[in-house]
Amino acid sequence: MIYYLLLPFLTILLVVLQTTVADVLFSGWLVLELSLVVVIYAGFRLDLMKGIVLTFLMGFVLDCVSGVPPGLFTLIYLLIFLLSFFVSSRIASEKLYLIALFSLVCSLLESLLLVLLYHIVSDIDMLTNVPLVFAPQALLISVLSVGFFYAMRKVEGLVYGKTRQSPQRTGTGRISAKA
Amino acid sequence: MFFKNYRTVIFIGAVIAAALILLSYSLKYDSGMGVVKKLVLEAAAPVQIFFNGSIEGVENAWKRYIHLVGLEDENLRLKNKIANLQAELIRYKEGALEAQRLKKLLSLQEEQPFNFTAARVIAKEQAALSKTLWIDKGSAHGLKSGMPVIVPPGLIGRLTDVSWHSSKVLLLIDENSNVDVLIQRTRVQGIVRGAGSRGCVVRYISKIQDVQEGDVVVTSGMSNIFPKGLLVGKVSHVDRMDVGLFLQIRVAPFADFSMLEEVLVLTTGQGEFSEGKKTLK
Repeated sequence: MIYYLLLPFLTILLVVLQTTVADVLFSGWLVLELSLVVVIYAGFRLDLMKGIVLTFLMGFVLDCVSGVPPGLFTLIYLLIFLLSFFVSSRIASEKLYLIALFSLVCSLLESLLLVLLYHIVSDIDMLTNVPLVFAPQALLISVLSVGFFYAMRKVEGLVYGKTRQSPQRTGTGRISAKA
Repeated sequence: MFFKNYRTVIFIGAVIAAALILLSYSLKYDSGMGVVKKLVLEAAAPVQIFFNGSIEGVENAWKRYIHLVGLEDENLRLKNKIANLQAELIRYKEGALEAQRLKKLLSLQEEQPFNFTAARVIAKEQAALSKTLWIDKGSAHGLKSGMPVIVPPGLIGRLTDVSWHSSKVLLLIDENSNVDVLIQRTRVQGIVRGAGSRGCVVRYISKIQDVQEGDVVVTSGMSNIFPKGLLVGKVSHVDRMDVGLFLQIRVAPFADFSMLEEVLVLTTGQGEFSEGKKTLK
């Protein structure tokens, strides 16, 4: 229950932090999208309920803070979460190079969805941003995800005594809503 | 049973539908989600302020550090520059002062019908029994013992010892110095003798002569050593004592002997200083 109570605040904290830090580091050129890495992590390590709530909140807060039409990131994050959730049964989260590759794919997918949605909804062509913004950002997220997954594995080890195994190994490795 | 079997699928579908409805609603009505969005923004604002403040603080500290590092280098560089400029300024000042002094000497040289040799004072001896100067010119430059030494506008002494490249000047205030003088106003003659720190005294002027404080004392040209009319000093005190035949007259030399740096030596032959040949106006 504490998880659900703390989640909105932690989500706001993370989203605000990533926008502020990105603004300092990249002067608005790139977004340090930790939220996407968290969503991917949730797809791999959390159960469906916990993960969907986190993803929904994360997307919604990002919508509110970033100023895009509300629901845009919520929808994209939900799709990425579901993709991660289903892929997690085939990719071991311990294999960090696979995580990096998958994060790269997710980031590019997010960019593609953004380009498509903007084109459909607002008739804005964002294709020019692909090589300048989306490609470097995908690489950045790929690197960040490796660090994040590694750090979270250590945290899980500290909190739960040992690192929980990937779901594809035992089918019970996920951090459930009751945990 | 159906709901139980497909609970997950239904849940996922409902959430995606909710997201789509949210997006459609916001695009259609451009409402910006009203209260919920406001709540999120209200909650995010303090966090944003906190992060911005923290990052700004770190950024400022970093910039200040970088600035300070640069400042230290700049400070060192400027200090060196100041030291160099001060040294240069001192050189220029010295040069300017020297130029002024030399200009004075030169003007005197041009005004007077004598030959001069300019010399730099290289040492001073201001002991109790000896008041002399060393100059950087000697016999190699045509100087001879006994030649008068002047600085504008008058006499300060004469050469006593002359070597090849330096000479000793016996100052007027040395107690061994004797110069024939006259009181300019009354043309009364006497002999000025050095009196050390008290300046000079004029001797052998009778009590019946008219001498007053402030009278100008100039060389008489009688001794054939000094040209006539060189300024020696001013009468600073006259004492008419009851005992004795002569007045006790003190003379304050016109020059400050402790501040001499350049002098002129009159190199015109000694015989030429005799009265009637060349005199100073």
